[in-house]
Amino acid sequence: MKQNEGMTLIVKTVTRVSVWLIFLYGIYIILHGHLTPGGGFAGGVVLALGFLNIMLAYGRKYVEGWLNIKLMKDIESSMATLFLALGILGMSFGGGLLANFLSKGELFRLLSSGTIPILNILIGTKVSMALFVVIYSLAVLHIVKGGEK
Amino acid sequence: MTVYLLCFALLLVGVYGVLTKRDLIKIILSLGIMGYATNLMIILFAYKNGAIYAILTKANSLNGKPTGPMVDPLPQALILTSIVIELGITAMLVAMSIRLYEKYKTFDITKIRRLSG
Repeated sequence: MKQNEGMTLIVKTVTRVSVWLIFLYGIYIILHGHLTPGGGFAGGVVLALGFLNIMLAYGRKYVEGWLNIKLMKDIESSMATLFLALGILGMSFGGGLLANFLSKGELFRLLSSGTIPILNILIGTKVSMALFVVIYSLAVLHIVKGGEK
Repeated sequence: MTVYLLCFALLLVGVYGVLTKRDLIKIILSLGIMGYATNLMIILFAYKNGAIYAILTKANSLNGKPTGPMVDPLPQALILTSIVIELGITAMLVAMSIRLYEKYKTFDITKIRRLSG
C-alpha cells in the first residue's frame, strides 16, 4: 500500500471513529455549561483538540482540503461580534451589558438560565476555531533552510 | 500555610528554569510552570474546609438554595481567564521562537546575540 502523508492506516482508522466521539463530547460540554462544570472554553478546547487529532493523523494537506481555514478564521472573528451584539441587546432589553433578557426557565433544565447557553455556544465556537487556527498556523510556518550565518 | 509555601517553591522552580536554562523551549516551559504555580495559589486561597464546589446540582440544593457552604467561585472564574491569557502568551512565544530559529538556526540563547542585521 502506498504510504502517503499522515500516520499509518491503523491510526487513520481509529481517528475516523474516535474523532466524532471527541466532537460529541465537546458539544456536550458546551451545551451543559450552565448546569455542570465546563462551559464554552473547556468544550471549545475539546473541539479544537478533535481538529488537531485529524491534522496529526491525516497530515496538513488533507486538512487543507477538508476544512476551510479561511472560513474558520471568519467564523472565529464573527463570534466576537455576535457576543458584543448579545451584550448590547442585554443593554437595551435587560438593563445592563450582557444582562439576561430571556426567560430563565426551570432550574436544572437544558433550556434554562436565559442567555448564558447562547453565550456559551458563541464562546465554544470561537475558542475551538481560534485554537485550531493558532495550532495550524504554527504548523505551516515555513522555515527557510540555510539562511544567513 | 504549608501549601502556600509549596506553591512558592513551585514558582521558584519556574524562576530557576528561566534563569539558568539556555534552550528557548525550556524557558517557555519554565514560564508555564510559573503560571501554574500562580494559578494553584489563587485557587488555594478560595479553598474552604468542608465546602462543596460552587455549582448547584439536584444533590446539593433545596428549592434553588445550596444546602451547605460552597467554595468561593470568583478565583475559579479568574483562573479560567488567566489560563486563556497564558495560552495566548505561550502561542506568541512559540511563534517568536520559530522566527528566531529561522534566523539563527539554533534555540541556544547564548548564540543568539546579534541585535540587528
